[in-house]
Amino acid sequence: MSLKPGKKFKWSLDFTNNKISDIPSPPGYNPSVTPVQNEVVKDHHLLIKRSWDLALAPLKQIPMNLFIMYMSGNSISIFPIMMVGMMMFRPIKAMFSALPKLSEGAQGHGQKLLYFLGNLANVGLALYKFQSMGLLPTHASDWLAFVEPQTRLEHFGGGVSFI
Amino acid sequence: MSKSVVLCLASILFLNSTLGLYEDQIKKFDWKLTQIGKVNNAFLDLNPYQQNRLIVSTEENVIASLDPLSGNVQWRQILENQPRGQLKLIQMLVDDSAPKTAVRHQSSKSPYDILTVQGHSPAIVRGWNAFTGNLEFEWSLVPLQTETAEDSFWFHGNDMNLYHVIPNFGSHLEVTEYIANNGNSKGTTSKISASWIQKDKCLISGSYYICLEGSHLLALDLTATSPQILKKVVPSSPKTSLKAVRGVSGAVSLDGFIYSFDEKEKLCGDKVSGQSLLKAFQGDESLLVEADLKNNVLEISVKSVESCETWQNVKSTVQYPSHNGVPEVLAFSCRTNRQNTKVCSFVLTTEDEALLYVQGDKIRWAREEALANVVSGEFIDLPLSDSDGSIEDELKSKPGNENDSDLFGAFSRRVVSQIHLVRSIFLHVLGLGPAPTATQKAGLIRDAFGLHKMLVVLTQTGKVYGLDNINGKIHWSNYLRSVENFNNGEEMKLIVQRTSKHFPKQPICTIITKSAETKKGVLFSFNPITGAQIGETNNLNYEIQQIAFLPEDTTEFLKAIVLFDHNNQVHVIPENYKKQADGLYLFTANKKSAILNGFHLKFNEKSGQLQPQPIWTVNLSGHGSTQEITSIAAKNPIEHVHSQGRVLNDRSVLYKYINPNLVAVVTQGLDNIHKFVMNVHLVDVVSGSVVFSLTHRKVRGPIKIVHSENWLAYSYFNDKVRRSEITAIELYEGKVQANSSVWSSLDAPPMPLVERQSYILPFSVEFLKETITERGITNKHVLIATSAGNIMEMPWFYLDPRRPIIQPNQPREEGVLPYIPELPFIQENMINYNQTIARIQSIFTAPSGLESTCLVLATGLDLFVTRVSPSKTFDLLKEDFDYYLIAMVLVALTSASLFVKQLSARKILKQAWK
Repeated sequence: MSLKPGKKFKWSLDFTNNKISDIPSPPGYNPSVTPVQNEVVKDHHLLIKRSWDLALAPLKQIPMNLFIMYMSGNSISIFPIMMVGMMMFRPIKAMFSALPKLSEGAQGHGQKLLYFLGNLANVGLALYKFQSMGLLPTHASDWLAFVEPQTRLEHFGGGVSFI
Repeated sequence: MSKSVVLCLASILFLNSTLGLYEDQIKKFDWKLTQIGKVNNAFLDLNPYQQNRLIVSTEENVIASLDPLSGNVQWRQILENQPRGQLKLIQMLVDDSAPKTAVRHQSSKSPYDILTVQGHSPAIVRGWNAFTGNLEFEWSLVPLQTETAEDSFWFHGNDMNLYHVIPNFGSHLEVTEYIANNGNSKGTTSKISASWIQKDKCLISGSYYICLEGSHLLALDLTATSPQILKKVVPSSPKTSLKAVRGVSGAVSLDGFIYSFDEKEKLCGDKVSGQSLLKAFQGDESLLVEADLKNNVLEISVKSVESCETWQNVKSTVQYPSHNGVPEVLAFSCRTNRQNTKVCSFVLTTEDEALLYVQGDKIRWAREEALANVVSGEFIDLPLSDSDGSIEDELKSKPGNENDSDLFGAFSRRVVSQIHLVRSIFLHVLGLGPAPTATQKAGLIRDAFGLHKMLVVLTQTGKVYGLDNINGKIHWSNYLRSVENFNNGEEMKLIVQRTSKHFPKQPICTIITKSAETKKGVLFSFNPITGAQIGETNNLNYEIQQIAFLPEDTTEFLKAIVLFDHNNQVHVIPENYKKQADGLYLFTANKKSAILNGFHLKFNEKSGQLQPQPIWTVNLSGHGSTQEITSIAAKNPIEHVHSQGRVLNDRSVLYKYINPNLVAVVTQGLDNIHKFVMNVHLVDVVSGSVVFSLTHRKVRGPIKIVHSENWLAYSYFNDKVRRSEITAIELYEGKVQANSSVWSSLDAPPMPLVERQSYILPFSVEFLKETITERGITNKHVLIATSAGNIMEMPWFYLDPRRPIIQPNQPREEGVLPYIPELPFIQENMINYNQTIARIQSIFTAPSGLESTCLVLATGLDLFVTRVSPSKTFDLLKEDFDYYLIAMVLVALTSASLFVKQLSARKILKQAWK
């Protein structure tokens, strides 16, 4: 351990220099023995598997959501609206929170894409439900309140003659 | 399907319960003035035995009894309208046995107190009880010849007999005598030959028939057995018309001279010194009352006929308001007070239709009867209070001044205004500040919701009043002498040239009328808050044919007036607005020929003159030119349309056809096959195109029409089935708008889709008017004045022409009722509940500061002011809103949450230490 004067970081300690010094290994330490690689490989597979599960979860939810949507009907009341609202916002939230947690690597991108698409499908379903409930402002009538009155170009006066 | 049915039912339930009044709200938002019209006959009865009363008959065919102490109406009988109800005679019965008072004593045996004769075909004779106003008897007389009966007149003999006189001008008079209370004729009709009688030159004075014939006055005593022609010489060209002297038989006044034909009647000389003369009995004495107006001082003197000396030193000198015009004494009565001197009361009617009650040297009370004939009414915003005014100033950033728009400028202005506020509070508390202005003293300050306004009312005599719309108090009045309504049934106009929103510039109202003498235009401008005249009365040197207004300009905030004279020349008042009038369109309609002419105004830069160019002519007189225009309805120029379309059940939009230049023209005429034919034309008066026409056959007037937004409603009498009906029309552009930003009638906008439907009304209509609000968000209701004196607030969804004929398997539109031809008479929608408005003529509406509320003025014989909220008061808290409870709950909850927060913090800390 030595201080390197003139280095940028005044308080940083460099341990690498000490590796060259011949301090003996602690007793019982065998540098030739390597750790068992098998376990790691198994764990890695498990991780990928878990990640796939996570990525597929939104897609698996779709049939369930369809069933709920069918059961709740198209009437406009507070509970169906709340349910559909949840259906709409949960996937969006999930996308932001869970996407970075998915594993890296070659499969990672596929998983992310799948997860993203699954959630998007859920959002789409919720939107469809909103649409069939008539809550989406997709008609001209929904924007009628914002239509400005026409400004008139001509002005007139007159009526029955006073003479 | 089920959804739409539920919605439909819910909307019906909801909408039906929107109106009505609670018992404690009676007279809270409304007030009524009970009027009787211009008084032309009065009988004052002050006697020690009974309740005092003043019995009057008026030009509006009303007889009434007033309380002489206050002028309040004790009872009022509204007789039939003209010509059937035209009052030809009112006679108070004097019983010889009782003290000589106007009204019969309770012990009197005479069969009636008041006798009236009305109309001519038939003539109706009625006897009334003076105490209760009840009808005691009635009989009628149908004349043999209706043409001559129109000029017939009646007089009352001394012996309780009624004389009916039919003059046949140029030949003779027919006199028949009747017993007043049962109509039995006494003897036969006597014919008195008099070839010299002429229409408009003769009158009846007592029992004498007096005519002006060249330089002679000729008279006949109609009660004499063999009438002799009496003659008197008068100056050949009299300046005034012949006038009978009140209370005297056989005396007329002409140019200030009195000519008496009855030798028994003494009149103390033959010259009148004052403007008005009256002869009456007081006890057993016969007295003459003379009223003379000089320099706003009215002198009333009483003379005894016997001695021609001033009677009992009775003389009144009254400070007389100049705006009342020339007075006329109608009645008087005296009583002896404790000091054994006479106290006399005089009843006067004035030129401006007021009724004055003079006692001693004071006007005890005055009734403004001009208000029985209102032609126009406007609600004017009151000025802001000082504190509100400074806030307004602070918020108003002046364009062009950059310092005002930045943050620092705004902040400094705020600080300055607050310092001013603090200072004014201090000064007011200490009583050092400037005295409040007259309007502030009178409490004429704008309230938070803009509900308190000045109601400016213009009446037919040319008198204009400033009324408080909250309590009906008359704040000021102005009288325009000798003006009259325009021809063709067009009334004089009251125009708001500048509203009171532009402080410190004063608001301006202008009356546009015509002179009764020269028939030329007259303009009178005044401040609607104080009533003070602005500038001189503008007597124009041309006749007004038509008027128009320029849109409000941005610097002076003034709406200039464009006048179109009888030579088709254009004048702009004030003059310097001529250039702005360039490009204005103008149209005039000839009622008789049913021709509409459109003009376009062009400003000539070189000559500085405005040139009207005729651009179109529309002839609506129809086949054979049988049709005449009966009414023209344009939209209210201050109207805002908030919703540009209507939502259909498939959630698409049907856009409204809102053409601001559209005018509805109604023509009526006779037809050989269908008897009465009525046409309704919708004319775009800028381009002259007829947008739509409708024809109703076997339909008669009177037609009442209301035109607003994209709809039109008119009521008429269906002659075929004999009932009142109303037709509603709505215009739609279709599912797309041709041009969503601007409207130009010259761009050939698409023809509208027209929806129409007719309904049967359970009453006959006197007037139709739509409600109006500030931004037009609130629903529009139609106010229907009925002939029974009610005002019905009819929601538009009842009149809606899109009400479908019910079909079971079709989805229904939201808020649309199925079609039922009969409109309901909804009692709770009567905005005047039990306060009947006599002879209702028109309704004026104005927006208030609250979007939900519309101010209403209904005029007729009576005046009624109220407010309506067509969509309920959605922008107001309920009156019984519990402010204290809400405040207490809020405070309690906030403090509780703060306390609990402390507790929980402490608990967390304790747990952390464990």
